Amino acid sequence: MIKNFFHEKVSLLLSFLILSNYLFLSLNFPEIIIKINFVLFLVTVLFFYFNNLVDNFYLKLFFLLMFLIALGTPTYEWDPRSIWLFHAKRIFYDGSIFSVADNYASFSHNEYPNLVPAFSSSLATLLGYWNEVLPKLSFLFMYLPPLILSFAIFKNEKYIIFLSLVFFFIGKYLINGWADGLVAVYFSLSALLMYLLIIENQKNGKDTLYFLLAFCFFVILTLIKNEGIALLLILFVVTFFIIIFKGKLKNNIYNLFYLSFSFIPIILWKYFCFLNGIENDYINSNFFVNLLPRISDFENIKLIGYFIFLNEKFLISLVFLSIVFWIKKNSNLLIYVFTINLLYILIISLIFLATPVDFYFQLDSAAARIVKSINFCLAFFALYNLNAKNVQLSK
Amino acid sequence: MTKEKKIKFFFVIVCLLQIFYIFYFRSGFQPEVIRNPFDKEAGINFALPAEAIEAKNIINSNNLKDFYLSNKIKENIYLYQRILEFNYPIKINKNSDFVFILIREEIPNKCKKLKKGNFLILLKCKYD
Repeated sequence: MIKNFFHEKVSLLLSFLILSNYLFLSLNFPEIIIKINFVLFLVTVLFFYFNNLVDNFYLKLFFLLMFLIALGTPTYEWDPRSIWLFHAKRIFYDGSIFSVADNYASFSHNEYPNLVPAFSSSLATLLGYWNEVLPKLSFLFMYLPPLILSFAIFKNEKYIIFLSLVFFFIGKYLINGWADGLVAVYFSLSALLMYLLIIENQKNGKDTLYFLLAFCFFVILTLIKNEGIALLLILFVVTFFIIIFKGKLKNNIYNLFYLSFSFIPIILWKYFCFLNGIENDYINSNFFVNLLPRISDFENIKLIGYFIFLNEKFLISLVFLSIVFWIKKNSNLLIYVFTINLLYILIISLIFLATPVDFYFQLDSAAARIVKSINFCLAFFALYNLNAKNVQLSK
Repeated sequence: MTKEKKIKFFFVIVCLLQIFYIFYFRSGFQPEVIRNPFDKEAGINFALPAEAIEAKNIINSNNLKDFYLSNKIKENIYLYQRILEFNYPIKINKNSDFVFILIREEIPNKCKKLKKGNFLILLKCKYD
């Protein structure tokens, strides 16, 4: 096992390079800087692989296999083509994340955050051309920071179980160009970092490293997809109330305040969209017009319950969580996990009820994807609690 | 073999099975694509409708700067979105002089046929 926080440092560097890529594109830096940034990312990945080949061997092996599968998989599904890879293509050809200001092809949801498309476009920039296979690889690359950091949290056989959870809950979303799997993984890691750093207030002599990791993960979470904004907001609200309830507000308020700066990039993006009249299709002036007639009909609530609570992966993760917390009680963690997921279910239910398109169609096409964050989070925290010594930050 | 090693071995097998499941049943993996993923045209035949590919070929061969689509094409949301996104950075422009119609559509009197493909016809005219 490599000491000196190797995995944390690699994870931080990779997430930092993902964010710097976005920053450089936002500030219209020259193409050469974008290319150098992406090369640095790839060099870091190679360094992680070959610094000590046997260390974290299974992640390296499985990631390589997924990489090969992704190399033989063209982008063919609806959202990846119409939204994520199309945004990436626009950034690639226009050289800016702000080209969406013209609201061209409004079906592509131009107000969606552009972190992942920006990263995909930079891979195409490095190659020098666009095609229907390679830019999608950047989605897979973006899983590396949380997967590498998880190695510092789960040891030995627990890490392999963690990877099997990733394949079970995220599955093809690792490679198909949808962003929902990324939201799920970054959300779970962000929730754990928030819990350890603020609620548990763990000190390990490397606080700055973990705070920087939390900050980068929070920013990435908000910039992947709109759901990430809601999820991070929930994490902050729940954490704030928990530390008030536990009388720890005075010790932690400054840390929480500094971490809240992670909302700045997404606020700036939303402000840019607002200035250019690019509206969100779901949260807009028609929100209550759509919501109110539907919310009073109990059939609609039942339908939401059917799509969320009877999702087979939701049930599996819930059973796993229940068994683990029954065997190994940890009420603080259980309340935290339960509250953040319950609030998220509440928010997505409201969004579903306010959808401008057909209600059933919306649930049928989106619920299974969006509920991935909840499913993975429940299973992730069950595994975390399963750890013998209630895993702490590396020491 | 210790208990931990047995668990580890079991879940390594589980992971490999899941990767195989993703590869074989869920990914849309195409052996033809992995033979040359760096090709500029890699995967287009698997990812796009023939109409979108034909539109791109016609746009390139006629060196068009913009184009427009018939109402029939726009009504087919899948086809509309695929033609639009695949042909970027060439954009749809309703004032364009170049209009694609489906091959089964009638050519409006005021339009001149420029190119006929297997699925689409390129017209030169203002389309309402």
